[in-house]
Amino acid sequence: MFSLKNQLELRKVTISSLLTCIYLPSIVTVVSFKGLLYSVGNGSSFYILVLIFLAELLKSFYLNASNDIQAKRSKGNRIKVSDILRSFIFLLVTLFSFFIGIMLFGAPILDCHEETLMLSSLMTLLTVFPLIAHSGVEASMQQLFGMKNYGRDSITEMLVNNSIMTVCGAWIGAVVIPLDWNTPWQQWPIPCYLGAISGYLLSNVLTVFKVILMSAAQKYPVINFIVNFLNTRHHVK
Amino acid sequence: MQSWLQNRWTSLSLLIMALGGLMLFLYGFFPLKYHSGTLAHMDDLPNFIDGISIDGHEVYKTEENSVILMVIDGLRYDFVTDEYMPYTGQLLKNKSACIYVSVAEPPTVTMPRIKSPQRKKEKAQWRRTINFWRDIFAMMTGSVSTFADVALNFGAPAVRGDSVLRVAASRGRRSVMYGDDTWLRLFPGLWAEYDGTTSFYVTDYTEVDNNVTRHLDKVLAPDEKMKPSFDFLVLHYLGLDHIGHLEGARSPMIKPKLLEMDAVVKKIYTAMQKWDRAGTLIVCGDHGMRDAGGHGGASPAELLVPLVLARTPLFQCPHPAGPGPTVAQVDVAPSVAWLLNAPIPGESVGRLLPALLPSDLRQHLYLLHVLAAHNARQGVPTDAEYYKQFQRAQSQFAHYLATGQQSAAKIAKDFYEESLEAMSKYLSEQMVDLDMFAIGIAVVILYFIAITLFCITLYSLQPEQTRKTSTGHHRKSSAGLFVAFIIVLIICTIILVISCFITETKSQFCSFNSAWILVFALTACVLTMSYFIAKTAIENTKNLTTLNDFNIMDYLLIFGTVFHSWSFFGTSFIEEEHMTWYFLWNTLMLFILLRTVVVVIMYVGKMFIGATEVQEKPELYKKMDFNIGLLPKWVLLIALHRYLRTMNQTGDRWLFLPDTADWLNAPENSIYLQAHLVIGTILTLTICLWNIRYMNNVMHMHTAFTIAAAVCILCYRINTKALGSPFDDIQSWDPVTIVNFFWGVLIAQFVFEILTYIGTFKICSIHTGTSRANNKFIYNKPKAKREDYFYDPLVEEPWNLDEVKLSLARSVSHLMLNYIMLIVILLMRPHNVIMVPSVFITCMLTSKCLDHKLLDTRPGRNTDIVDTLSQVLVHLWIGQVFFFYQGNSNSLASVDLGSGYVGLREYCAVRVALRMGLHAYGGPAVAGATLFAHIATAPSWHQYLQTLWRTVNIFAVHRTYAVALYCIVTVFFRHHLFVWTVFSPKLLYDFVATVFTIQALTSIAQIVGLTHFTSWLAKTLTYKSRL
Repeated sequence: MFSLKNQLELRKVTISSLLTCIYLPSIVTVVSFKGLLYSVGNGSSFYILVLIFLAELLKSFYLNASNDIQAKRSKGNRIKVSDILRSFIFLLVTLFSFFIGIMLFGAPILDCHEETLMLSSLMTLLTVFPLIAHSGVEASMQQLFGMKNYGRDSITEMLVNNSIMTVCGAWIGAVVIPLDWNTPWQQWPIPCYLGAISGYLLSNVLTVFKVILMSAAQKYPVINFIVNFLNTRHHVK
Repeated sequence: MQSWLQNRWTSLSLLIMALGGLMLFLYGFFPLKYHSGTLAHMDDLPNFIDGISIDGHEVYKTEENSVILMVIDGLRYDFVTDEYMPYTGQLLKNKSACIYVSVAEPPTVTMPRIKSPQRKKEKAQWRRTINFWRDIFAMMTGSVSTFADVALNFGAPAVRGDSVLRVAASRGRRSVMYGDDTWLRLFPGLWAEYDGTTSFYVTDYTEVDNNVTRHLDKVLAPDEKMKPSFDFLVLHYLGLDHIGHLEGARSPMIKPKLLEMDAVVKKIYTAMQKWDRAGTLIVCGDHGMRDAGGHGGASPAELLVPLVLARTPLFQCPHPAGPGPTVAQVDVAPSVAWLLNAPIPGESVGRLLPALLPSDLRQHLYLLHVLAAHNARQGVPTDAEYYKQFQRAQSQFAHYLATGQQSAAKIAKDFYEESLEAMSKYLSEQMVDLDMFAIGIAVVILYFIAITLFCITLYSLQPEQTRKTSTGHHRKSSAGLFVAFIIVLIICTIILVISCFITETKSQFCSFNSAWILVFALTACVLTMSYFIAKTAIENTKNLTTLNDFNIMDYLLIFGTVFHSWSFFGTSFIEEEHMTWYFLWNTLMLFILLRTVVVVIMYVGKMFIGATEVQEKPELYKKMDFNIGLLPKWVLLIALHRYLRTMNQTGDRWLFLPDTADWLNAPENSIYLQAHLVIGTILTLTICLWNIRYMNNVMHMHTAFTIAAAVCILCYRINTKALGSPFDDIQSWDPVTIVNFFWGVLIAQFVFEILTYIGTFKICSIHTGTSRANNKFIYNKPKAKREDYFYDPLVEEPWNLDEVKLSLARSVSHLMLNYIMLIVILLMRPHNVIMVPSVFITCMLTSKCLDHKLLDTRPGRNTDIVDTLSQVLVHLWIGQVFFFYQGNSNSLASVDLGSGYVGLREYCAVRVALRMGLHAYGGPAVAGATLFAHIATAPSWHQYLQTLWRTVNIFAVHRTYAVALYCIVTVFFRHHLFVWTVFSPKLLYDFVATVFTIQALTSIAQIVGLTHFTSWLAKTLTYKSRL
């Protein structure tokens, strides 16, 4: 759980979440003003993915940057081409498993491949990519699947929360597709796509909210009750 | 009360009471008093009016008439104008024809957009039949139909009661029909000449109408005496409705179609003018049309339909120009009957169309009298104002007949019309009247029973020790209990009686008849009993710590089950219930998948980090092995479910989409269909053979029996040409004989099993030398005697009775599972056969994955109770999911009638219903049987009984909860537009599901009873032989 012990980490978490809260809604707003919101499943909307990719990459640079000069130097030296290659291959594998998984859980099999592919790329970008950029392939997998004996810092905590909420958002988004409202956005994969984005966004908002609450709790101990409640909720998962 | 609470079958009996409550609810919702089936005769015409004699036949008689009823499907009121139908508009303008506003019934079944392959023809036919039913029924019998009429006529949609066509035929009139063949199916054998067109292709809107119009020239042409060849002609045009469904009411194609209809009207009218006898043309729509597609049905555009009446010769419409007076659809029946000089159909509640009433005052009044007297006979309360009005009118009419006073005639006419209007309204409304008091009582009963069952279930979920200790405290004398029971019973009865009188209800429930007083008393008893049981259960429920062991999947299962019943507050969630289940089931599969992955990664990680830990704990290693094996299986299972989900499109909205079953049933793909059939059958056979290991397979007799049964099924398939084979002989066999042989094999297998249990074949088995290690059904003395043997010799059994009981229960449960699987694959459609082994595989794999010990790193915890809960819920889910995979839905259209006649020569209501029920509920049945067979593999008899008790409780509480909540939903939406289409069929489905649950639990109770009985038998015999 988040702790107040490491103020630096906490600040990073807050700022990166705030950044997400700003850039993601702006992308969606711009797209919907252009009238392209209902074409997010097409290949033509690839630029959204590129934008998100760049934003996440910048965020991960910020998160990994360290004030400690020594650590910075040692880390800077350690980045290798093979690491990047490995991460890339791993991302491709994840993309493919998302693709297959989404199909297994009900996406059209014989057509709409393009749409499904876009959705799975978005999911990969929002779930696995930030984790890998932060802590490498092996560690990120173990953190994602709840290896509690690993040392988890606040940043990892946030990233794992983000990915879980993204999957939940996409999953819940699928609910509206079969309903008989006859709206244009009940097309595969728009609800899932937007659901994933809103899940991710919601998770970031919650992070900011939690940090604010925790800071407030230092002044007003009454709020501790809510913080504890939020913490226990999370531990159930 | 304690003993009631602890009895294993209390929940079963409570469930039976809940079924009683549900029946009371259904009684209130669909009262069954309706169509008495009275047939009308000419002799029924009254010959005395208040003592004054009148010649009924003479006055009633009309001139010779030919009536043409032209029904244009989807004709709405604003279509009959100069713009769309110029000729008709002209007729209306010069008063040669009258127009009325007729209010149609809301559509019963919304017509789907079917671009359908062959297989969906049947479904479409059903929808269409039910859709037309009400309109045609209303027009031809003159009475409003009810849901019960449709539901009870299931499978044989012919109208049994009286109708215009029957009275016309009895008077020797010739009826001719051209148009949709629904008419032929509704009134078989009453047509002198007909040509029914079958049209399920909505895209076809020219051919259907040409098929009707092409007969017109011939049939309208008069014979040499200038008389037409028919007396009553029905024309049904569908094209307009098809256009409306395809393109909406604003389509450019509407106008040409209406012009075509107008041309038909012109043709008929000109032909009528040439005849030497009177002709009457009635043009009407059966329902309107909305402007655009989508749901709806209550808008004026859909409900208001025109009714145009044109007569030759010499007809002047008495009504002023304008929209015309309002009439009802039921008014067509008496009008046509009178025009044909036939008596008014027995159950008609309608009136004559005002323009038809003759100008002759005597006949006019007599007709009004006949109608009023007819309506008054049909159970109008004699103390009502309109009945008195009728009597006053009658005396005025008599006065007129006696004296000829015009004023009396005028008064009589007014009085008759007033009372007729009120009586018609009363009788029509009575048909759709609900017995709210009975419904309320039924809901209360269901609600009470659900709460009681919930309390019992919670009580049963306690760990055993706590339950035992809590029993000691409350020891009340039975006499005291009895007195308490009586007192509460009296209080309940008093409350019921008071509520009866306070609400001033007219319900039968409060009529205190001999039959109903029994129901009344039973209700009071049930309420009292459930109160006592719930009270005792709450008092004794103290330790629910087991519920702390829930993991996230248990929460999902419980939440999903609870939520699903609440989702019915939305109509589309009823129509698309399968979507809810698919979503819940997918979520569960995702959770299990994630957990399996987590466990695998966790163990692999542990192996890498702390190798010593793994080496030290062999069970951890075993767990890991098991999990890694589970992962690919689970992924394959998900893929299998993905495939099965595409097999049958169901529900309402997406029904028209092509599915795998359509593809398989296409003639060019028959090889794949046969592959499905063979694979499904062989997999089932393998599973059955695998289950045989729990039975006494002496000399492999069971293997032989099972294979014989499977061969029967294959022969049946070959015989019905679902499967090709090199053996041509089989084609010539009688399918009924094959199926009978199949039943014979099953019965023989059961008898054989019981015989081996008794020990008849003991000698044989020794001779063959296959002395199996699990020589299960032989009574042994236990080797080690207990220390306290002497203290309690009666209770402590020196024989291993319990073991034998358990193995018998185990073997019979598995036998039952095998039977259900084999019977279901016999009944299933060829493409659905694959479902049966899939249910079994899903059940086995899921119950392994849901084991609480899988993830639990702390060993030695007792998770049996939580395991039971999750197992039962997940089997219920699997059953539901497969119910929908198979193509069922919550509409009557999806019931497969074909399966009811497998292996039957003639219709037999009980057998057909049983087959249809087992076919529809095949998925839930196999899942349930698998669950009970799985329970029977418990290590000890005592544990088996405990698990069984909890399982029965959970089954009962789930069923009652669903039914109680759904009843509340139905009451809530009783005036909803879709109450017939959506809510009522689901109520029937729930009823059938309850009956089947009771049946399943009863057969489990029978198995336990059988074990007790045989054990008692063996004990007495053995004691005797020892003596």
